[in-house]
Amino acid sequence: MLLAKTLTSSTFKLALIAIGTFGVIVSAIFSYVYLSTSDYVRSRSDRSIMAEYMDLQGVYKQSGREGLIGLIRQRTSDKAFAGHIYSLADPSSAILAANLGEWPPAATAPSGWTEFRASGTAAERSGGPLMRGMINTFASGDRLLVGQDISDLDRFAGQIKIAVISGVSLIFLLAGVASVLVTRRTVGRIEQINATSRAIMASGLDKRIPLRGTHDEWDRVAENLNLMLERIETLMGEVKQVSDNLAHDLRTPLTRMRGRLEKAYHSQRFDEDAQVLLGDTIADLDAVLRIFTSITRIAQIEAQVRKEAFRTVNLVEITREVVELYDAAAEEKGSCLTMIGEGEVPATGDRDLIFDAIANLVDNAIKHGRAGGDVIVASETVNGAPVISITDDGPGIPTDQRDQVFKRFYRLEQSRYTPGNGLGLSLVAAVARLHGARIEMSDSLPGLQFKLWFPAPGT
Amino acid sequence: MTGGHRRILVVEDDLETAGQLVEQLTTSGYQVDLATCGNDALHRGTTAEYAVITIDRMLPDIDGIAVMRQLRDDGIAAPFLIISALGEVDDRVRGLRAGGDDYLVKPFSFVELLARLEALGRRSDTVAKETILRVGDLAIDLISRTASRRGKDIDLLPKEFQLLEYLVRNEGRVVSRAMLLQHVWDLHFDPSTNIIDVYVGRVRRKVDDQQAYPLIHTIRGIGYCLRAPR
Repeated sequence: MLLAKTLTSSTFKLALIAIGTFGVIVSAIFSYVYLSTSDYVRSRSDRSIMAEYMDLQGVYKQSGREGLIGLIRQRTSDKAFAGHIYSLADPSSAILAANLGEWPPAATAPSGWTEFRASGTAAERSGGPLMRGMINTFASGDRLLVGQDISDLDRFAGQIKIAVISGVSLIFLLAGVASVLVTRRTVGRIEQINATSRAIMASGLDKRIPLRGTHDEWDRVAENLNLMLERIETLMGEVKQVSDNLAHDLRTPLTRMRGRLEKAYHSQRFDEDAQVLLGDTIADLDAVLRIFTSITRIAQIEAQVRKEAFRTVNLVEITREVVELYDAAAEEKGSCLTMIGEGEVPATGDRDLIFDAIANLVDNAIKHGRAGGDVIVASETVNGAPVISITDDGPGIPTDQRDQVFKRFYRLEQSRYTPGNGLGLSLVAAVARLHGARIEMSDSLPGLQFKLWFPAPGT
Repeated sequence: MTGGHRRILVVEDDLETAGQLVEQLTTSGYQVDLATCGNDALHRGTTAEYAVITIDRMLPDIDGIAVMRQLRDDGIAAPFLIISALGEVDDRVRGLRAGGDDYLVKPFSFVELLARLEALGRRSDTVAKETILRVGDLAIDLISRTASRRGKDIDLLPKEFQLLEYLVRNEGRVVSRAMLLQHVWDLHFDPSTNIIDVYVGRVRRKVDDQQAYPLIHTIRGIGYCLRAPR
């Protein structure tokens, strides 16, 4: 998991680019060293071969074949010329004088530079010492080969080659391992930050990113993020405290107020007009209290405390209950409320809250959908994820206002005069957030489809 | 032993609310004792026998739930009506309701409180063992889950039957909308629409249409009452 993240991380990609560039430069330097070294060594041996060749050619031209044969014989027996090779052959390739067993089969060119491995047997031919020589064919048809054993040079070049290849490979290997380790460390720290962010989104602001105490830049980032979280938590706490206090402090006077009004209402001491006035006031006070209750309820849901009471619920059962409850209301409006889904659609959550959310959506669909239209409520499992959809064939919600409708007290122009307080969808959004569910709104042409995608149970 | 089924203990720390409660409950024919803190409630709860004890969740000294638990441990069997502010309606409170008691969210209407007290008080003195309940010419069979009037079957959906059963069990008593939501749908919130009225309206059409007399009556501003004419 971490390895996969390491290999796909941008740090690792940067490291790969760096290794690649570095590798190309190192290879170029080593190749240059190798080529120029071998070139230098070769040119030195070439000069001495050339000088020797010129000597022998001069003798051939002055004293002819016999003179050269004599010189070659003299040279081959001279210790000072050890390491040199000589061969003189007549036009029929018969050897006239040489310190090589036979004319090297690889040296077929009539003139010019040649390289071959000299040895007696065929088996040794590939492994024998490397020779470099100059061939020339005289006007008479005689062929002369003058050369030197360059196996030292050969070995040197081979060693340099091995050093270059193994050096470059080692550098690549070390750089690769180093970049994986470095990237892994970076990714590990980022993963910690990510994990904390996810935990905060899932359960609340009380989580903090762990510090390693290394005082490096990652610790400083984590420290600052933690300070920021601390600040947000304090602010949220203050806001919550204010609303809680408000809720608590208002509740008592409201209870008293309602009690007094009710007492007056039931005392029958007033005439009919005053009685109606009192009744209306109580009704309005109740409406205020309901809004108040809804706000407190949404705040309570958003505080995420109810997550502890989550258990496995069957969405089919809950939607069936909602549909049953709202069936009469749909009937009254002449609409047809249909339920799709059977068996088990398990999800993890709070039954009351899910009921409330679906009830709000169904209520909206009946209220704002077409009178005499269809409202379809479905619960099913799609690719392992439980999903509830509520579809109507009413006017829908304009695309540009779809995000707005979740705001508290927001009401569409078209529904300003239907009863409601603009809190229903805020509650749906709060419930969805608490459950980690995704809300999807789409056109059902005509009408609106509302979908609640719950996370697959057990994830 | 003093007491009986019209005696109620009110535990409430807000003096004005307490005063209103005592006054209105007394007017409604109850004998009311008042305790203004948890210790007072513990003392009174064990010295007299009450039909119902109403207790505020937030008391100055001891938590209302703790007081209730202590009284239970002391062998007090009276049903409790927990009065709680909305934010405090947690699982503990909901769990209590399942145990046979009830709760009410502040601020509440007095008639709502009265309806619940009536229901709780009755529960403590009768335990119905019959499998067929009758009100006037209505009979509901708790085993086969069917209802009929004058022997003629009424076609009811399962929840409609549950609603009718709840009304029948509380015959002659006012049942509020919130009580119906809690007991029939097990919902602990107010959907803040007239959804219950519409639903009861449909049940009423099925039960009362083309009958000699209506059984389900609307009580304005509160809820419903099922009763046969005297």
